[in-house]
Amino acid sequence: MSTPVLTLENVTKRYGDFTAVDQINLSIPQGSVYGFLGPNGAGKTTTIRMILDIIRPDTGHIDVLGHRSAMDVRHRIGYLPEEKGLYKKMKVWAIISYFATLKGMSRSAARHKAFELLERYGLKDFAESSIESLSKGMGQKVQVLASIAHEPELVILDEPFSGLDPVNQEVLEQLIKDLSANGQTVIFSTHIMQHAERLCQRLLLITQGRKVFDGTVSEAHAIIPRRVVLETRGDIHSVRALDGVLSVQEQPPEDGSARANGIRQWELYVKEQADPQQILQHCFENGVSLSRFDFTQASLHDVFVHLVGKEAREHNFR
Amino acid sequence: MRVTLLIAWREFMENVKTKGFWIGVLLVPIVFFLIFHISSRLATATPTRYFMLIDQSGEYGGAVATAISREHQRQVMQEFMRYLQANRVDMGGAPPPQAPANQLDQLLDDFGNDEVSALDDWLSNGGLDMALQMARPYLREDAPPFTPPRRQFIAIDPPADLDTSAPPQTIVEYMRPYLNGERRLQHDGTAVPLFALILVPANVAGDVVRPDSLERLMLSDGTPSGVQYWAANLTDTRLPNAIQASLNNTIRQQEFTAQGIDIQAVRDIQRTRLPLSRLDPGKQLGEAEVSMADTFRQWAPMGFVYLIFISLMQSVQYLLSNTIEEKSNRIIEVLLASVTPGELMMGKLLGIGATGITTILAWITSFFVFLQLYQTVETAAIVQILDVLLSSDLIPYFVFYYLCCYALYAGIFLAIGSLCNTLKEAQSLIMPLIMILIVPVLTMSFVAQDPNGTMARVMSWIPLFTPFTMMNRAAAQPPMVDVVGTTIVLVLTTIAVLWLSGRIFRQGILRTGQPPRIVEVWRMLRRRRV
Repeated sequence: MSTPVLTLENVTKRYGDFTAVDQINLSIPQGSVYGFLGPNGAGKTTTIRMILDIIRPDTGHIDVLGHRSAMDVRHRIGYLPEEKGLYKKMKVWAIISYFATLKGMSRSAARHKAFELLERYGLKDFAESSIESLSKGMGQKVQVLASIAHEPELVILDEPFSGLDPVNQEVLEQLIKDLSANGQTVIFSTHIMQHAERLCQRLLLITQGRKVFDGTVSEAHAIIPRRVVLETRGDIHSVRALDGVLSVQEQPPEDGSARANGIRQWELYVKEQADPQQILQHCFENGVSLSRFDFTQASLHDVFVHLVGKEAREHNFR
Repeated sequence: MRVTLLIAWREFMENVKTKGFWIGVLLVPIVFFLIFHISSRLATATPTRYFMLIDQSGEYGGAVATAISREHQRQVMQEFMRYLQANRVDMGGAPPPQAPANQLDQLLDDFGNDEVSALDDWLSNGGLDMALQMARPYLREDAPPFTPPRRQFIAIDPPADLDTSAPPQTIVEYMRPYLNGERRLQHDGTAVPLFALILVPANVAGDVVRPDSLERLMLSDGTPSGVQYWAANLTDTRLPNAIQASLNNTIRQQEFTAQGIDIQAVRDIQRTRLPLSRLDPGKQLGEAEVSMADTFRQWAPMGFVYLIFISLMQSVQYLLSNTIEEKSNRIIEVLLASVTPGELMMGKLLGIGATGITTILAWITSFFVFLQLYQTVETAAIVQILDVLLSSDLIPYFVFYYLCCYALYAGIFLAIGSLCNTLKEAQSLIMPLIMILIVPVLTMSFVAQDPNGTMARVMSWIPLFTPFTMMNRAAAQPPMVDVVGTTIVLVLTTIAVLWLSGRIFRQGILRTGQPPRIVEVWRMLRRRRV
């Protein structure tokens, strides 16, 4: 693996008594797509602002593209903040071009690039419109384009998917893939796990300012045991005895009809190396007729809830 | 620096594109033009007024008629004076002119000093015809012929069925519908509205007020005494004033005669005067006489103070609204990932400063264009004044104080803008500053009257007032210690304010929520980094 694009060492930020970011360590390799996950108020945005040197950490070191401050290499970084906004009166192409020139591009190159990006991501017809005439989602797409027009080596997108419809979410996913394919490093924060699951090579999960997970997506999946979902009218308690089955729990039905038929839903957690075929065979041999047999890997969503769910809920009620 | 200029350019272009900017740029010349145009047209556009004179005394009617013809002559003379000033051959530094020109000068001088006696002279010398003849050699060759103004007050006969010898009460009752505009009178075959009824009752001589009859005046029972002037429009005072003056003149002449005093002697005494020359000690003997242009030069600084004030108010709007737009739309975060807060602040200061200067230049340009397109007597005077102004040292003062004033206040306003999320919040915070800004405007005329007085000097040393007050004093040769000293204080203060504002701006710009309390602002000023 090449030298990291971004390194955080013991970074801490406090606001009075409140610790927004607590002792975060991080190293992001070049060319990767890196997901920052965490519940609301976990410290994602604060971390990102510190990476960009908009605010300074109280303790710890940050190294961005080999420099102590992102301001020294600001022309090589692209940033989409969490709260989006653009100059309302400006034209779409002009605003993309303006931000690119602020990042060191020449005026003509920036203008050219703006039109090229608008064409590629389906906004060509709006190039001459003013920002205030766009819908919120379109404005957000424009802002994403504005943050990458100068072809930065490191792109930091804070909640890029929020507020976009499914079609545009896909466009944005494609854009992130394009960037990655181009060798650009992308960091994005989100709390929509599907995007992280599809896009990220590595994840950082923080809650209440502390890092709770940092690793690849498959490593994340391994945190929660694999599970088998069964639906049946029969008695499946004997399954418990099987080797490789860790636990059996009844799940509330997903809709009313199942219960009316007497069908109950069960969730079995199994060991990593267990063979689900064995469970199916056991049911068959014991005359338990299954209306559903579902062997799934735990989703990132489950991992997320597993790791931060309790704290996040408590946090919300505080 | 490149980034600062980029930001400045964007600020400038975006401001220039707004409607508000164009309204600001165009409104001033348009208003100026309209005021000028309308006021010069209005004088001649007053409709012809028809009045009716009923003289029951048989004694004072002549005085009233004289008053009205006098009023007309006054108009003619005024017009003629204007015509003369506009079309006169430029004498420049030519040697003292010969007798008739002297006479002409005397006429102009008399007119300026004592209108009434000038009017008498004017009439006794043959009026307009005589004046035209006298002035002819001194008019420019391309001078247009003089057209005297038309009569504004025309006498009209009473209706045939009115008994003019009836008691005043009855006549007024009869004429009331005419005076109210409900009925019209016939004049030369057309129906015209009656503007005024002048009624001289038969026993009017008994109403003459003498110094010893003041008591009787106080015991007045409320019934009108003396000559009665009835008109629905009481705001046009030219006619009643003229009548009053003429009546008094007649009465006094009668009194003189009654007491055996020579009227001509009285007249001559009344016209005796000792001239007062206003002189400027800063000039060589001989040039020391204060001309109109000099007087103007004394007052011109006030115009510049206004200009600074208006332009500053406009810039304040831009500074606040643009900063708050960036803050409330959260554009600021993207910007701060690309530029330093210092660059952002400087860019804004430059861009909006350029907007303000553009506005002023646009005003000045439109003013010159207006003068080119619209050459009349009044504008000729303005051109002369402008020449004086441009050749004086006021312009460099203005440029310097404008820039300092802008930098000083803009720094403060930017810091305030950075602390607020909405214009509403900002408005409550800038209120005290606006109050401070109003002080130099309010005291402007006092300072202009006594430019080196205590108040002016004290205010000059308060940095927030320095640009205004010193600009105001600029034409009065303030002491060197004031000029240099206040300039040093002003520049140092401006630098300090910009530096401190930069600190507040850096920290305030990322703040959300309520504007901070004073204590927090103090903490911001002392903190070095975010």
